[in-house]
Amino acid sequence: MFDGLLMLGGGLAHFLTPISLFNIAWATLLGIIIGALPGLTATMGVALLVTLTYKMAPDQAILCLMCLYCGAIYGGSRTAILLSIPGTPASAATTLDGHPLALQGKAGTAMGLATTSSALGTIVGIIALALIAPLLAEAALQFGTYEFFWLALFGVVISGQLTAIDDPLKGYIAGILGLLVAMVGMETLHAHQRFTFGITALGGGVDLIPAMVGAFGFAEILGVMKRTAQARIVSSGDRVIPRLADVFRFKWTTIRSGLIGTFVGIVPGVGEDVGAWASYAAAKRVSKEKHLFGKGSQEGLIAAETGNSAVIPGAMIPTLTLALPGSAAAAVLIAAMFIHGIRPGPLLMTENPEFLYQIVAILLFSTIAMLVFGLTLTKPLLTVLSVPRERLMAVVYVLCVVGSFAITQRMFDVYVMVGFGIAGFILREMKYPMAPLVLGIILGDLLDLNLRRGLLLTNGDPSPFFTRPISAVICITIILTILMSIPAVSTRVRSLLTRGRGDASAQS
Amino acid sequence: MTTDAPTQTDDATTPGMIKADLLAGLVFILLGLAIFYGAWTMDRLEVRRIHPFTVPGLVPGMLAIALTLCGTILSFRSLRTVAPGGWQQLSGAMLSGAAGRAAAVMLLALVYTLGLVGTLPFWAATGLFVFCFIMVFECWLAAPRKPLLQSLPWALGLAVATATAVTLVFERAFLVRLP
Repeated sequence: MFDGLLMLGGGLAHFLTPISLFNIAWATLLGIIIGALPGLTATMGVALLVTLTYKMAPDQAILCLMCLYCGAIYGGSRTAILLSIPGTPASAATTLDGHPLALQGKAGTAMGLATTSSALGTIVGIIALALIAPLLAEAALQFGTYEFFWLALFGVVISGQLTAIDDPLKGYIAGILGLLVAMVGMETLHAHQRFTFGITALGGGVDLIPAMVGAFGFAEILGVMKRTAQARIVSSGDRVIPRLADVFRFKWTTIRSGLIGTFVGIVPGVGEDVGAWASYAAAKRVSKEKHLFGKGSQEGLIAAETGNSAVIPGAMIPTLTLALPGSAAAAVLIAAMFIHGIRPGPLLMTENPEFLYQIVAILLFSTIAMLVFGLTLTKPLLTVLSVPRERLMAVVYVLCVVGSFAITQRMFDVYVMVGFGIAGFILREMKYPMAPLVLGIILGDLLDLNLRRGLLLTNGDPSPFFTRPISAVICITIILTILMSIPAVSTRVRSLLTRGRGDASAQS
Repeated sequence: MTTDAPTQTDDATTPGMIKADLLAGLVFILLGLAIFYGAWTMDRLEVRRIHPFTVPGLVPGMLAIALTLCGTILSFRSLRTVAPGGWQQLSGAMLSGAAGRAAAVMLLALVYTLGLVGTLPFWAATGLFVFCFIMVFECWLAAPRKPLLQSLPWALGLAVATATAVTLVFERAFLVRLP
């Protein structure tokens, strides 16, 4: 425990330098601006910034990316409150109560509460990250090839299930498509080229960053430009800095939402939007003022903002310890870490134990920066929102092109970005989620390699995949997850449970 | 996990979307079968005497089966759901103003990426793209349209600024050899 505290102190001291503080400030502010601008998401921002951090020292590069990530998730609340358009998907739940509050002339109060809730949510997640990550990393050392196969499959299945709640089938399809994309190129077991069709550029497979810039950037541009209406901005006239009594009035909501958000973050590939909705739903369920939800409830706003921000540190737990991204933006962070020579995974705590605490320190600094900017720069941020999207999106597309090109300096990556952008747009229009697709691209190699390596170790006998305790647990979880996504099965189970409860209460 | 998220059911169950799901299901079935064929006929590396359970086509083949299965379920589900006027609604959506705006973005992006970049100097291609994009979406596809003279200075200014800034930042600061 003391080792952990010492390393956390070391992490904080490591970033207490003028250059680090400068990087924290601009990256968080840029993140808030990106998050506030509808159409620019946190994932897109992180993906584009990766290309600008190549020349930086690894610690400073990760610092900038993490700060931008935190800032963007928080920044989405500005637009949600003032325009009723979530700046990022993570802020969709915030619109339900944030905008009604703004319409009641309490935009400042709403933005202030959103800021403090985001900060508190991140802090809850940070505590969990510092406590859970080392333990999970230690446990992950017990994982073998069989467990990693199931973990990869679990990531894709659960992400498909939770990001497409209304229609998990579409989530699974998106995940399978992502896994299939990962099959393109040289496979790692026998160095054999798969599905390259003689195209040399495909030999190395499809790079994650251009694919993500396309799926989250170009597709987003297409989605934003498709619409004609421009939303009306509600200005803030009341106080932005909230009273302490207002912040602590819903302390249990904050703690609950922080824990829910952290848990959602730990689940691979699910992300901030689910964290916000799950926290919002839980808060509504137990609230004494249920009737106010959706009409300007401060509790609802606090729950949504705490929930989405707590996902960020939560998502870093599997990202750092298992190399399984907890969210789409964390997936880009994994790619960035590899680019900068940092290998996330079970061996991280052995090879580079101080890195985990550096991440904790980054998140703390970023939270402080977010709090300062969020409470002081309300007026300039309102000006940013008045930039017409016709002008903004043209520049963003140029950045998508240059960002994709800059990685390996070949046009092929730009074509990949365009292809994924168009395909991503069509899939999104048909309600297919993008997160499982991206997770599939990342986890495809892990799944493929570990399945075949496992079969090689057992000479073709698949039984260890089902008989080893951890493997069996994950396998059963996957099967149950898939079964519960079938309406006929879930309805049957629910009716059985209801009947069971009814019988029990009748007996008592 | 249950959430109170506004469900997409309204959109998802529109007759047009049901027909779109049918088409998508058929595409996934075809794609799945094609990938399965590719995986089945993939080199099994017998010369290298690798174990039959570690052939490179194993996982793509399994994924192809899963995709075909999901595509089949999607298609059957769509066929079983009543969707009166679905095809008209789907074709209406594909020919709507929104679709036209998305197609305009795609066209501009493709002309810039596939045509201009690499043919013209990067700064010129970028400036031209930004200028055209702003003019098209402010003076032609906007509702209400902006006067030409109001948008022109903005489009020109932003085109020059973007072309200069992006080229200088990437070429000078990050030493990227732009196409």
